[in-house]
Amino acid sequence: MSTNGSEKKKVAMYWAASCGGCDISLLEIGPRILDLTAVADVVFWPVAVDFKYADVAAYPDEYIDYCFYNGGVRNSEQEEVARLLRKKSKTLVAYGTCACDGGIPALANLKSKQGIFEAAYLDNPSTVNPAKVLPQEITETPVGQLEIPKFYDQVLRLIDVVEVDYLIPGCPPQADRVWEAILALVGGVVPPRNKAVKVACTDKSVCDECKREKRKVKIKEFKRPHQVRPEPEWCLLEQGLICMGPATRSGCGALCTNADLPCRGCYGPSGTVEDQGTAMVSAIGSILDVTTEEQARAMLNQIADPTGTFYRFSLGSSYLKARK
Amino acid sequence: MQGNGSAGVVGNGNGAGEDLRIGVFICHCGGNISDVVDVKRVAERIRKLPGVVFSDTHNFMCSDPAQAMIEEKIKELNLNRVIVAACSPTLHALTFRRTLERAGLNQYLFEHVNIREQVSWVVEDPEAATRKAERLIRAAVKRIGHLAPLDKRRIPVHRSALVIGAGVAGLVAARDLAKCGMKVDVVERSPFIGGRMAQLGKVFPTGEDARPLLSKLIQEVVHDPNVTIFTSTEVLSSVGIVGDFRTKVRTTPRGVDARLTYVGNAIAACPEETISEFNYGLTKRKAIYMPHPNCYPQMPAIDWGTCTKCGKCLTAVGGKGIDLKDEPREVELHSGVIILATGYDPYEPLYGEYGYDVFPEVITLQQLWRMLDWEGPTGGQIQRGGKPIKNIAIIHCAGARQYQGISMPQPDGKVKDYCARTCCTAALHASLEVKERWPEINIYDLHQDIRTYGRGHEDYYKHASEAGVTFLRFDGHDLPKVEKDLRGEAPLVVKVIDQLTNGREIEVPADLLVLATGVVPHDISELIDMYKCAIGYDSFLLEVHPKLRPVELAVTGVFIAGSCQGPMDITECTAAAAAAASKAAAMIAHGQVEMEPFIAQVNEELCTGCRTCLVVCPYDAISRDESRGIAVVSTAVCTGCGTCAATCPSNAIVQLGFQDDQVLAELNALLDREAALVL
Amino acid sequence: MADQVMTADVSTRASATFEPRIIGFLCYWCSYTGADMAGTARMKYPPNIDIVRLMCSGRIDPELVATAFAKGADGVLVCGCHIGDCHYMVGNHKTMVRIPLLQRVLREMGIEPQRFRLEWVSAAEGARFQKIVREMTEQVRQLGPLNWPGLMRSRGVGHGMDLKPWGEV
Repeated sequence: MSTNGSEKKKVAMYWAASCGGCDISLLEIGPRILDLTAVADVVFWPVAVDFKYADVAAYPDEYIDYCFYNGGVRNSEQEEVARLLRKKSKTLVAYGTCACDGGIPALANLKSKQGIFEAAYLDNPSTVNPAKVLPQEITETPVGQLEIPKFYDQVLRLIDVVEVDYLIPGCPPQADRVWEAILALVGGVVPPRNKAVKVACTDKSVCDECKREKRKVKIKEFKRPHQVRPEPEWCLLEQGLICMGPATRSGCGALCTNADLPCRGCYGPSGTVEDQGTAMVSAIGSILDVTTEEQARAMLNQIADPTGTFYRFSLGSSYLKARK
Repeated sequence: MQGNGSAGVVGNGNGAGEDLRIGVFICHCGGNISDVVDVKRVAERIRKLPGVVFSDTHNFMCSDPAQAMIEEKIKELNLNRVIVAACSPTLHALTFRRTLERAGLNQYLFEHVNIREQVSWVVEDPEAATRKAERLIRAAVKRIGHLAPLDKRRIPVHRSALVIGAGVAGLVAARDLAKCGMKVDVVERSPFIGGRMAQLGKVFPTGEDARPLLSKLIQEVVHDPNVTIFTSTEVLSSVGIVGDFRTKVRTTPRGVDARLTYVGNAIAACPEETISEFNYGLTKRKAIYMPHPNCYPQMPAIDWGTCTKCGKCLTAVGGKGIDLKDEPREVELHSGVIILATGYDPYEPLYGEYGYDVFPEVITLQQLWRMLDWEGPTGGQIQRGGKPIKNIAIIHCAGARQYQGISMPQPDGKVKDYCARTCCTAALHASLEVKERWPEINIYDLHQDIRTYGRGHEDYYKHASEAGVTFLRFDGHDLPKVEKDLRGEAPLVVKVIDQLTNGREIEVPADLLVLATGVVPHDISELIDMYKCAIGYDSFLLEVHPKLRPVELAVTGVFIAGSCQGPMDITECTAAAAAAASKAAAMIAHGQVEMEPFIAQVNEELCTGCRTCLVVCPYDAISRDESRGIAVVSTAVCTGCGTCAATCPSNAIVQLGFQDDQVLAELNALLDREAALVL
Repeated sequence: MADQVMTADVSTRASATFEPRIIGFLCYWCSYTGADMAGTARMKYPPNIDIVRLMCSGRIDPELVATAFAKGADGVLVCGCHIGDCHYMVGNHKTMVRIPLLQRVLREMGIEPQRFRLEWVSAAEGARFQKIVREMTEQVRQLGPLNWPGLMRSRGVGHGMDLKPWGEV
């Protein structure tokens, strides 16, 4: 691959409220990483190299050509770094579903900050905390004040705190798609910046890439994946397994459904849809084989956890975003 | 009062660059609105909104002068959007849309705001009402920016009609349509036409014999060259839409043709018997049969379900006129409109209901009328069990006006709670008939009410009373009980708590107990599925609106005539059939049918081909284009419910006129706290 | 449980001057006509409800309901024809599944059931419509403002580009 100009590009990646999977996914591009390092230098990547925040702060503005920010914004440090990286980057990419749509961390928005702290530090059977100590932002110690980042009331997405150029969805994003995006970035063939466009994916839903056939039938009963071996080649949703395919963006190659597992929605909402959960409520609510309210109630009771299932990856993008 | 120009931005409805020029017309409604809502103040405030070029009030916006004023303003100020705030759109939206059309503006660039039924008439505080009116009009100003011009759908109509059912309603509809010059195909399931009217002896209120009347009607129909009648024919499938229905029908051979001369011999020779439907099970008939001497067509038919093809009839008539090959033929009929005239069946009492099927003395009113028919199975005599009939009891409302938990339920657990309408008059008519022939017979009429509602029907009640019929009245929660008479005076005794004697229990002897039964629609579940008919809770076909559109179904191009719609007598069936024919003829004569444009449309870019929408359309209007892998909505079949638009998980289907962006604009304006219009 | 902290203190939030904003999604053939009938009979109900007219309750996308709450509605009322009476035969069959499912999800997001109601109202049930609106307005008034936009702002949502779903209107 070639670059515009003879200087090597500057690349950064940061992990915020993240599982680390996105950082690993960058490695999934395999040997192509050598092509990348041939034209780019990593100037900040906490999981892999030892640059500090102070180093980043010392860079000139827009020094970083491409910055990939993965993970949600859970605390003030993550927001501060987001702002810092925005300042220091020409192109800021929200990498992975957590940064794009909130991801799994955003499910914490169904609990309050107090509830989370109590679950983690007090009510936990494996925690010994007789003094009932909870994390404080400021703690006085004999040798001075200790400050830790402020834990926000709600997990935010990257675009909730800074302006974002592109979003690469996926939990994690698929390696081939990521490579295509990197090529496009480096080659300069990209959509207009600063419009939060989703790239390295398609605009369609997983059904478009899924090979299973639909028989145009309504759902008669819901099943959990552990209860049934699905009939091969037949749409999983029609068989009663809750597959988020119709409400999920594709680009992943429908890896899960083609392997008999219902899609869990990890690429977030498709097309122009903002709220993946209501899209799924719309779809599922329309294709049940029921004619009375009692039948409807009975079938809906078979869905174990609608909020968690429909919003597993995208609560941060939903209209309501959190529990009150 | 004119605003100062068009500062509004057009939403994605209309293409870039066109400025909004909105005219807002607010109605006083002669005080109905303005007594509560300060319409002048609202008009002034609305004038200041971006895009609003004109905003004023009028005393009666629906009046001719006001409409002329709207037209004038549209032309004078070059308005490209119009909002009327007045009474409910159900009343006058069409009126105002026509005004736009006359002024040369697309009639769908219009918003109608309801500030009477839903504001001035229901909000007590005038200040709150004024704010609510303003808020709703603001929402309309925002919504209208997202409207695009639309066109009515115009579908050409094939110049022919299909009538399903050849009873009195079907025949009247066919006759009237044919007289208009339309080609009519009539499809009848039975080998004989005329329906249940042929099973009656006399009819009320004229007391004429039913069959000669029916024959007159039949002659008019069969001699009209525009009419083709298919007997022994069933509908197999129907595809297409209004204006272009293609219906496949299957005709079973009659087995008999016009060459048959020795009809009596053929029938006598037949060894197979089954119950006679024509005589409601009172008698049997052969496999080759004619229901009555003057049936039409005037020749027997073979009931293939009973016939064993033994050939004895063929032998008896010298081999001519009978053909035992029963392979059916299929034909496709092409029609622009369809009229359903599939009729009713009498309610069949349940085993044990008032002793039905338990005691042989219990019969239905239909069976009584067969007996009273001079040409009927008993030659006009009422006989039952060989004994002389001295006492007849009649119980009304068998299978009608029943209460859940009191009457025996049907297999589905429900009771028949609706009134069957015609049976009171029919029962009294029968009583009078009996009294005229046999004055010595005692008749006891047990009823919940006497509903002789029609013209001339009350006379039957009066004369029956004068003739000595004894009337007893029961409450539907306390039904009469039928038991064997242990004292042997008469075979049965009917015990009734009589309301007319203040709740005294009276025992009525009955040599014959006649149940005046209700009616149920004839089973047409396949047709209902095929034509997507709505049915009411009582299972009869459901019209669009009982007062404004009584013979139309929600599916355009399909009409209903007669008792398939509900219990009705021959007079009412005739009127309904004439109405259906007239509606159908109007559609055909116009050559095309116009339908509202608020249909669903697939955005081909956004559709991901997930196929979720394919099963949700009540009318099967959505199909899949395999070559492009996307959904397609049939513009002719779509009725504009919007269910698919709500279903699509990719937001790829919009419902024109009710698009997400239009509704969202409305919501944003309604919830806009900064506008300081909160209450 | 800590999460009860989130919904506590209703009494301090509800005030005498709080006027609920309720959005009513009504189907044209039955419930809108039923609301009209309440008007024709001059039945009075609070002005807090604004009616959005759609052809069928089947058109009511859960997205619209969630948006209404997200944009500041304190309550949402969804009305359709009684089951079996839908002008489009089975449009309300979809409503009878979607809305209860959405109600469950929104309840888990802390939106009290009294704020989000599904009612079947026929064209003749003007009195019933009046009763529902009166009852719902009072119940929502007691619960206090929902003010979802304010809640989100206080939690830090809305700094960046994502200010309004579906863009500017």
